[in-house]
Amino acid sequence: MNTRSLLNRLAVAAVAVGFVALLAAAIAAIYVAKRNAEYTYWVRHTYEVELRISELRILAEQVETARRGYMLKHDHAFYERAVSTNAALFPKLEQIAALTDDNPAEQARVEQLRTLISRQTELTNRSLETTRAGGVVVSIRMFRTDGSIETLTEIRRIARDMAEAERRLLEERNTLQSRTVQALVGVLVAAGVILIVTAAFSVVVIVRYTRDLSRSRDQLRRLNENLEDIVRERTADLARANDEIQRFAYIVSHDLRSPLVNIMGFTSELEAALPPLRDMIAAGEAASPPVATPAAHAAVEVDLPEAIAFIRKSTQKMDRLINAILRLSREGRRILTPERLAMGAIVAGVADTLKHRADEIGAEITVEGELPSIVSDRLAMEQVFSNLIENALKYLKPGRPGRIVVRGHAEPGRLVYEIEDNGRGVDPKDHQRIFELFRRSGPQDQPGEGIGLAHVRALIYRLGGVIACDSALDRGAIFRLFLPPTLAGDQGSSL
Amino acid sequence: MIEDDEGHARLIEKNIRRAGIMNDLRHFLDGSSALEYLFEGDENGRLRGPALVLLDLNLPDMSGTEILAKIKAEPDLKRTPVVVLTTTDDKTEIQRCYDLGCNVYITKPVDYEAFSRAILQLGLFLSVIQVPDNGSHV
Repeated sequence: MNTRSLLNRLAVAAVAVGFVALLAAAIAAIYVAKRNAEYTYWVRHTYEVELRISELRILAEQVETARRGYMLKHDHAFYERAVSTNAALFPKLEQIAALTDDNPAEQARVEQLRTLISRQTELTNRSLETTRAGGVVVSIRMFRTDGSIETLTEIRRIARDMAEAERRLLEERNTLQSRTVQALVGVLVAAGVILIVTAAFSVVVIVRYTRDLSRSRDQLRRLNENLEDIVRERTADLARANDEIQRFAYIVSHDLRSPLVNIMGFTSELEAALPPLRDMIAAGEAASPPVATPAAHAAVEVDLPEAIAFIRKSTQKMDRLINAILRLSREGRRILTPERLAMGAIVAGVADTLKHRADEIGAEITVEGELPSIVSDRLAMEQVFSNLIENALKYLKPGRPGRIVVRGHAEPGRLVYEIEDNGRGVDPKDHQRIFELFRRSGPQDQPGEGIGLAHVRALIYRLGGVIACDSALDRGAIFRLFLPPTLAGDQGSSL
Repeated sequence: MIEDDEGHARLIEKNIRRAGIMNDLRHFLDGSSALEYLFEGDENGRLRGPALVLLDLNLPDMSGTEILAKIKAEPDLKRTPVVVLTTTDDKTEIQRCYDLGCNVYITKPVDYEAFSRAILQLGLFLSVIQVPDNGSHV
């Protein structure tokens, strides 16, 4: 169990790790994409700077070419070209300055270029004006000496340097970019590996888990089936045991009856033999001298009749007890036939049959409210109510007008009937005992063998219910019956 | 009379005599000896059909109903009236005995007066019924 819970925790952890890896990969991808966009911008920027620088160089060359052309040919078109291109030089430089304002090294170069170009512009203008004024020779000489050639060379070098710097920057950025891409690939590969491992692990865990689950389900089903078998077996055992008890009670009561017939029979024979003996003793006493002794007289007149009376009384009692057992065992074997019973009518019928007795002792039997109807065995229910009401009549408190109330109500899954009396009550210590066979409670001033309540309980059990007694001495008693609303099937067993 | 309880047998006999029936009475304590007697032919090979069989159902070696079935299956004996005398007052048992052909079924009451009354009545009954003549003694 412990290793399983550990496994479960590991599976959850694996899934979590998988998700974290996925998230990391996504974040890395976004980061790299952003970097890529930046890079692209910078590459374009570098190319633009390069382009502008080469444009600047071309412009500078063009100015120079136009100036030289003007000096040599003295063509006014050259002059125009030189002036116009010269004018375009500064704006171009400003463009470059704006583009590279993030790069101090380039700014420094731009500054140098600015100085150089303004000087060159000045030189160019002077030579142009000199040439225009007709001093071609002067201007050519000036051209050789005024340092404009060096300035131009310097301009070219710096522009080259700038382009160089930009290319280096591009290369640097390239390296950085490829490193980022590599990092991304690394992250993606790592995430992929983690995902694959996680997935494999999860699959293993799930397969194992599913197998465990189906195994335990199979086990459960097997257990369930076993349980049903066990229940069936136990029920059969119980039914068998019950049958056995019934049969036992039946056989015992029958076999007990057989000797009883003899005891009773021969007791009667003894009794029948008494009168001749008695006559003989009387004759013996009457004779003179008396032949019969006082002991013989006592034996015939006192001892024998007394013995016979006791034997008879005991056998009669034994017979009643045996009959009670026999009745109970028969009741247990009777086949129950459930039908819908209007309990109100049944209790009214029972009360009617007991009315005469109730009137005699001044008791009153009432049904309070509506009694819920039940699906059960008619005879059994009649016997139960008849026994209980009869009992209530039997054990009323002398000197108190008897009141017996029957009521009932439905509860979820069961019906409750109550038989309440205001009689002498039952001592709480006897609440269980009164339901036992041949056991009675309180003063033994009423006829009976202690069978009624045992019979009632046996019937109630057969009807699938229970009975309880709620009482205290002198406070009356309530007998409560808890019964299923519908009696399930027949539970009778055949002997 | 087939009766395993000697006391019962004695009481039955006493009461039968008191009822004024003085026929010969043979008492068997178990089923096999009774059957042996019933199915042992006389010198002519005919079975000795008694006038009447008093039968107890609870016998040590076999059930009384078995004896009843055997008697009623034998052509020479089947007309012999059989009185079942037993402690069983179970309805199905009584029904079964009548189905097998028993003529009278009497439950032995524990109450001796009732018992002797029953036997007395049986005696009176025996004195009035016409027992088929098997040409043998009773």
